[in-house]
Amino acid sequence: MYKLFLCIRYLTRKGIVIFPVLAVWLCVMMLIIVNSIMTGFVNRVRSAGHGLVGDVVVSSISPAGFPDYQQLQKRIDALPQVRASSPVIVALGLLNLPDYEYTKLVVVLGIDPKSQSKVTNFDHGLYWQYKAPLHAVEDIGDQGYPVRQSQLVKRAVAFLNVAEKNEKRLRDGLAMEPIPSSAWFAAIRRHWQVVRREDWQAALHKLDRAQRDLAFITGLPKNGFYKNRAALIKALVPAEPSFTPPPEAAASYASAADEPSNGCIVGVDLGLYEKNRFGQYNRPPGIRFTPAILTVSPITLRATVAQPQAGRFQIVDDSRTRVFTADSRQIYVPFKVLQKLTFMQQQDLLSGGVQPARCSELQIRVKNDASAAAVNQARDAIARVVSAFVHQHPEAQIAGLQTQTWVQEQAQYIKAVDNERNMILFLLGLVSLVVVVVIFLIFYMLVRDKTRDIGIIKAIGGGEWGVASIFLLYGLLISAAGAAPGVLCGVLFVLHDNWIHDHILWRWFGISIWNRKVYIFSHIPDQVTASAVVIMVISAMAAGLLGALLPAIKAARQDPVEALRYE
Amino acid sequence: MQSLLEITDVHKTYRIGPAVVPVLTGANLSVAEGEFVAITGASGSGKSTLLHIAGALDRADTGTVSFKGQALNRMSSGQRHVMRNRSFGFVFQLYHLLPELNVLENVMLPAMVAAPTWMALVRARPRKRQALALLEEFGLVERLHHRPGQLSGGERQRVAIARALINEPAVLLADEPTGNLDPKTGQTILDVLLRLHKDKGQTIILVTHDAQIAALADRTVRLLDGRVQVASQG
Repeated sequence: MYKLFLCIRYLTRKGIVIFPVLAVWLCVMMLIIVNSIMTGFVNRVRSAGHGLVGDVVVSSISPAGFPDYQQLQKRIDALPQVRASSPVIVALGLLNLPDYEYTKLVVVLGIDPKSQSKVTNFDHGLYWQYKAPLHAVEDIGDQGYPVRQSQLVKRAVAFLNVAEKNEKRLRDGLAMEPIPSSAWFAAIRRHWQVVRREDWQAALHKLDRAQRDLAFITGLPKNGFYKNRAALIKALVPAEPSFTPPPEAAASYASAADEPSNGCIVGVDLGLYEKNRFGQYNRPPGIRFTPAILTVSPITLRATVAQPQAGRFQIVDDSRTRVFTADSRQIYVPFKVLQKLTFMQQQDLLSGGVQPARCSELQIRVKNDASAAAVNQARDAIARVVSAFVHQHPEAQIAGLQTQTWVQEQAQYIKAVDNERNMILFLLGLVSLVVVVVIFLIFYMLVRDKTRDIGIIKAIGGGEWGVASIFLLYGLLISAAGAAPGVLCGVLFVLHDNWIHDHILWRWFGISIWNRKVYIFSHIPDQVTASAVVIMVISAMAAGLLGALLPAIKAARQDPVEALRYE
Repeated sequence: MQSLLEITDVHKTYRIGPAVVPVLTGANLSVAEGEFVAITGASGSGKSTLLHIAGALDRADTGTVSFKGQALNRMSSGQRHVMRNRSFGFVFQLYHLLPELNVLENVMLPAMVAAPTWMALVRARPRKRQALALLEEFGLVERLHHRPGQLSGGERQRVAIARALINEPAVLLADEPTGNLDPKTGQTILDVLLRLHKDKGQTIILVTHDAQIAALADRTVRLLDGRVQVASQG
């Protein structure tokens, strides 16, 4: 007991302890912030990657695809683990928008929107067809679940009020008289004017967004009750996204003959839109329904390239999967149309007989897909079906079918981000060794400073272990005293990181670390996990103990008579 | 009178660099219960060393030190800590109070060391009562929450004596307790020690180089060349 008592007295009455406490505080805070942001980033990347291709993908190595996919799909659909599947054709193409003098090499995906929506989150990222853009869920829904429609309306109204007030404040700010000033002030003012104007533009966007959000939320069934995010998303996405141009598209064309009958959906990051600092896309007014000419090169079963085929489309929507490699390269067209363009549809052969229809891959959603074990189990079951199918279809064997989970399929992409997080944490962990050194140095000084106290404690009956434990406990208390505010500040920072970034770093210092023009996520991703916080706190305590260990041993070994003589 | 502390043929050497300096070369001393013994001698004669060895703070190279028939030099380190805590009370020339603790806390500290962790809270109240009684006896009630730095030399030494007495030790070992004080204040400290000895029968071993102070004791022993040379009745 006297050990704890002495520790608390030393902690509260020795000014020098502020330095190790500060060191632990800052390190814990830094590690929590970095870990939360990196974890949030990794998880968002993973969830975006998961939503991109479903849970399991059966794909052909050959670019010509594999035949009789309908049979394979039927067999896979019959598996008890499988919820839905969707065939996809992948081809290389050239996209040309004559009205925009725009040509780009793209990856063309032929999909059936109905089945694709059951397998992937394709429908969540559509801009014009989605009943509410995903931000309606993020802005309003994510404030807490479960939620009723009436609560959502209240939140949406509050959100709109804030957006209106903010927009008004910024507009008023812009109307302010310029302050007469020196050159130095003028430079600051110029910066502020730019900031304010950009803020105002963003506020206008936000206002528009808030108005749309409210309209969507009000349109939901009055007795709506949403258990979680997925339930709300389900209520907000269309039952069936479509490539068919709506009737109003005709107004963009001089005559019905000019209007392409097929629609296509473009990736949001193809370079057609400008993206502002806030991650908002500026869609040109005429981009929707603009004609698009898509040229693809069919690949034959013998892996030769056939005569390029061109098709006329019109852009009916854009898609945001939040996977940059997908959004910056992919365009989506109706499955049957691409099948025809790439000669992958069923064909009668001159020699008699039929060449079966082909596709590039089957994307599959399994039941209970949140569990990695369930996904792996389903993958194994699907792989067995594929193996049996390949035995019966030698042509499929040539195509080289492989069955992978979404994690395997995107391993390179996901692992890279995972590795980056681990690497950064490792490096910061090394930096945090500074804490151990700081505690060691301070304690070393403290033991010298307290040499006579050590003699006194021994003279009144304190033993070696007693003296050592005073310093070890002291180390622990210092770590705890640093870790507690470190956790608090770290968590508070993470909870408000976007606000701090936008309102303090950018507005006051003109620093923009999270450039939304570059990143696929409009907000800094963050995720504080209790386990990570516990690990940080335990590590901080261990650092405190480690730093105090040698000085504690030195103190314990101190000869009391010599210690009492110490000047 | 029955012997409480028996020091027999104790040798002690110190190593200062390459040189070996003999301090005690066969010292003998016997202290009876309730006795007030003064140890005198020139500077460096080994008075403090003898006191430290007598109070289990230091170990003799050879020879025996027995307390109530128990050989201190054969005890384990842990047993010696307990002995030091419960049976001996040290008072030093430089007071040696912990600067971070106030008067009351300094006095209570040996009692806190004595209490096992699980008994610490149970014993807190009687411990505090005892400390307050001692401080009242020494006229320090007004100074309970002052830190050592805010006290005069005499007050500090009285706090140190109260600290030494909190566990009711069998022997009080005082190493030049007035050496750092002016004569008047020194006298008040000696008065305290004498009162303790006379009223409560406290066994005291006092180290001093001052013959006048030594004369207050029941018996004075003189250390010369590492041995107890002269013994005189006070």
